[in-house]
Amino acid sequence: MNPEAAKLLGAGLAMGLGAIGPGVGLGIMIGQAFQGIARQPEMANDIRTNMFIGIGVTEAVALYAFVVALILIFVA
Amino acid sequence: MSGRLRPLLAAVGVLVALCLLALLPGGQRQEFEVAREFELEPLVRLPSLGPVDLSINKAVIYLWLTAGVLVALSLAINRSLRMQPGRFQAAVEGLYELARDGIVGSAMKSGRATWFPYIASVFFFVLVSNLLGLLPLPFGEHWQPSYYAATANLYVTVTLALFTFVFTHYAGLRRNGLRYFVNWAPASAPPVLKQLIWAIHLVSEVFRLVSLSVRLFANMLAGHAILAVFFAMALIFQNYLVAAVLQGASVLIYLFEIFVAVIQAFIFAILSAVYIGGAMDQEH
Repeated sequence: MNPEAAKLLGAGLAMGLGAIGPGVGLGIMIGQAFQGIARQPEMANDIRTNMFIGIGVTEAVALYAFVVALILIFVA
Repeated sequence: MSGRLRPLLAAVGVLVALCLLALLPGGQRQEFEVAREFELEPLVRLPSLGPVDLSINKAVIYLWLTAGVLVALSLAINRSLRMQPGRFQAAVEGLYELARDGIVGSAMKSGRATWFPYIASVFFFVLVSNLLGLLPLPFGEHWQPSYYAATANLYVTVTLALFTFVFTHYAGLRRNGLRYFVNWAPASAPPVLKQLIWAIHLVSEVFRLVSLSVRLFANMLAGHAILAVFFAMALIFQNYLVAAVLQGASVLIYLFEIFVAVIQAFIFAILSAVYIGGAMDQEH
């Protein structure tokens, strides 16, 4: 395979496959947080703050994939 | 004409207009490299100091701008403090309260007064830097307007994360002494497992530094890259339909980027608070 093509293919695969896990994780987490808020509206502020921390931690995984994709395209 | 037909006709009209747009001839195809948007060309060449190149590039200018905006804002708000807050003062007070109660208050158990200044500084610095990145400013190549954010630069975010990293261990050592390192593993764990947990914790401390910096950097870079690609598509395809659809979509992306800018500043500050708070009030 042409190395240039392999690079681009690898970058696309890295980003696409790397986004699956965090996507599922974010969906589960935000859904559960909203469920918690619906059950206990008085805890909404605490739950929301912790949800954002969780979003930050989970989303970082997808961003690692993004960085790897960028490295594949522009550096490798 | 009945009222029901009108939206249908409007939809057909829009479709026809879009098809006509697609048929309009575009201009010459132009090359566009997204990566070039993030290259740091020196704008003002200065002599190197040993291995350190002192040339001023746009990242440096954006850092100065961020600092300048922050200083100007604080001076302005300090001059005009009133018991009855106006709009501007109410907005700044809201952000201040978010930093005090929402970030430091909810993430730290003790030492809030000590660490509030640092956490709030980081929050406001990252927030202003992220938001400045959404304005087209004339610091591109040859002083052309371009988008950039100081936080879309890995060196800047690593520096910010290093502050948090150093302060975390400083706070932990000052509060707990050398017990701080012992407390990394639970005292009740069986011997071999304890060393293993300690090693895992050591790795996680280092990876906090990586994740804290890469998260902010990649978020800002990804947002700018998506905006750049959306703008560039119109240049590359030279098609009015593509241009109309993508320019419309880029407005939505832009609005989302404002949200991301605020959320990333919040996450950076609250994770710093969580790390520093966790180092001070260790679980035994």
